Amino acid sequence: MASRGTRWYTLLLAPMILVMGAVIGWPLIQTFVLSLTDTQLMDVSAPSFVGFENFIKGLGNQGFLDALKVSGLFALVVVSSEMILGTGVALLLNEPFRGRNLVRALLILPWAVPTTVNAIMWRLIYNPEYGALNSLLFQLGFLDSYISWLGSADKALWSVMFADVWKNFSLVAMIALASLQTLPDSQIEAAKIDGAGAWQRFRYITLPHLIPSLQVALVLRIIEAVKVFDIIYVMTKGGPANKTRSASIFVYQEAFTNSRMGSGAAYAIIMVSLIMILIAFYIRGLSRKEK
Amino acid sequence: MIRRKSIYSVLLYAAVICLVIYLIAPFLWLIIMSFSAANDLTQKPLRWIPSSIDISSYKDLLTMGINSRGELFVNALRNSLTTAFTAVLISLFATVPAAWVLSRYPGKKSWVLTVAIFTFMLPPVAYALPLYRMLTRLGWLNNSLSLALVYCTIVLPFCVWLIKENIDSIPYELEESAILDGAGVARRILLVVMPLLLPALGTVALLAMIMAWDEYFYALLFTSSKEAITLPVVIANLASGRQSNYNLIAAGGVIASTPPVLIGILFQRALIRGLVQGGVKE
Repeated sequence: MASRGTRWYTLLLAPMILVMGAVIGWPLIQTFVLSLTDTQLMDVSAPSFVGFENFIKGLGNQGFLDALKVSGLFALVVVSSEMILGTGVALLLNEPFRGRNLVRALLILPWAVPTTVNAIMWRLIYNPEYGALNSLLFQLGFLDSYISWLGSADKALWSVMFADVWKNFSLVAMIALASLQTLPDSQIEAAKIDGAGAWQRFRYITLPHLIPSLQVALVLRIIEAVKVFDIIYVMTKGGPANKTRSASIFVYQEAFTNSRMGSGAAYAIIMVSLIMILIAFYIRGLSRKEK
Repeated sequence: MIRRKSIYSVLLYAAVICLVIYLIAPFLWLIIMSFSAANDLTQKPLRWIPSSIDISSYKDLLTMGINSRGELFVNALRNSLTTAFTAVLISLFATVPAAWVLSRYPGKKSWVLTVAIFTFMLPPVAYALPLYRMLTRLGWLNNSLSLALVYCTIVLPFCVWLIKENIDSIPYELEESAILDGAGVARRILLVVMPLLLPALGTVALLAMIMAWDEYFYALLFTSSKEAITLPVVIANLASGRQSNYNLIAAGGVIASTPPVLIGILFQRALIRGLVQGGVKE
């Protein structure tokens, strides 16, 4: 009976394991194998085994270290901005005011706009000659001359981050708002009767209630942000002077622009290892809290 | 007391107005640009309200002519739909039975769920290189079906995770009474669980569709011409050219946003519930 049961489970799991093995498991192993060779994009000559040479070169490559810094800074800035802005907006939309349902419905707009569309939209807004941002700031008297937002080394990354926050804060806000709506009014009323001020009510009732769902939003956003590729690539291609080149863009360029597959794979593996360390810290943090 | 209250409501409405402007201004401007004539958008200072409503950019993108911009765009629209549908279908077919096992027999094979969630966290560059070599060797580059299979790397872990959470919330007692009536595994899944799972399955499918519709990295690598190229790639190419047809770029963006924005507005409540359900309970 037991063995018959086991067969059933395996059969039901089989389609998923098959698909996962084909498009996830096998390529991941192959990436590791590739990283130990000097394979080129076009197989002109047979690749040879080079051991850990790619990794040693990779860890000493200043360009790659800079790209890791770009990814780290990007993740840190956008995720913290999105968490703060998203929580603030959720609190605002939980207050009673006229037209609240309409504004709540609008909140889904930035989330629903595809990432590439968001990228080209902000590219048009940031356009150095005819962009809306320059024109608006100039007409309001904030600017004396037009600025090349995506073309200058010190502004490009910040401009891209601003565009990312516009799209993704709305996810945090929607998750936080959904959680606020499950907070019973009676708790807040009871605290008011006990003489708790607005800050105390937020600190001791609202925030603890919000934290589990904010944690979900935080994890989802960090996972997305550390592997950022598309919004930066469409807006700047990693330029100017590689100032917006993230780790994912670096790997892509190494493997497909410079045609060095082996070395690109090694960079990908380094990136994966760093993300695994990040996940391990998160899981450890969770299990410590449960104790 | 009354003064404090009125100061509060002035501040509240001021904040709400700022929020509304922030939420809609960028996208509203994209829509305005898409209906402007090309030379209205190259004025200094900018002409904020178009001199006339010009729909030529939409016509340009949606009319099929041989080797025209319209042909590529319409094909990309179709490819994006086909790829997203196929990826979601494959993923759901593979995940529903698996999620049922993972939910009902949590001890057994629980590593499968861990692996699935884990892969959700890894960057696409970790798989992209061997996939590219494999697709090249098999001659499967530039093919909607193989792109859909590759999209399973993103869509499938997400589906297993959410569907398992949803099966968890269906009471097991319902299945127990079916077992007493002599129902086998297939009948328990198809006749007991499925009817209750359908609404959640719809939500997960919509979320997964939006994910696949949004995907750019793999599409950039694996598709190049009208047979399989997807909308995000075409739009990014439109924008990266040196041309100044800003109205055309904007129209492309508006068209590509229409399906997800409509889905978002129509199914807002269900979508958010689906997203939140994913992890809060853990």
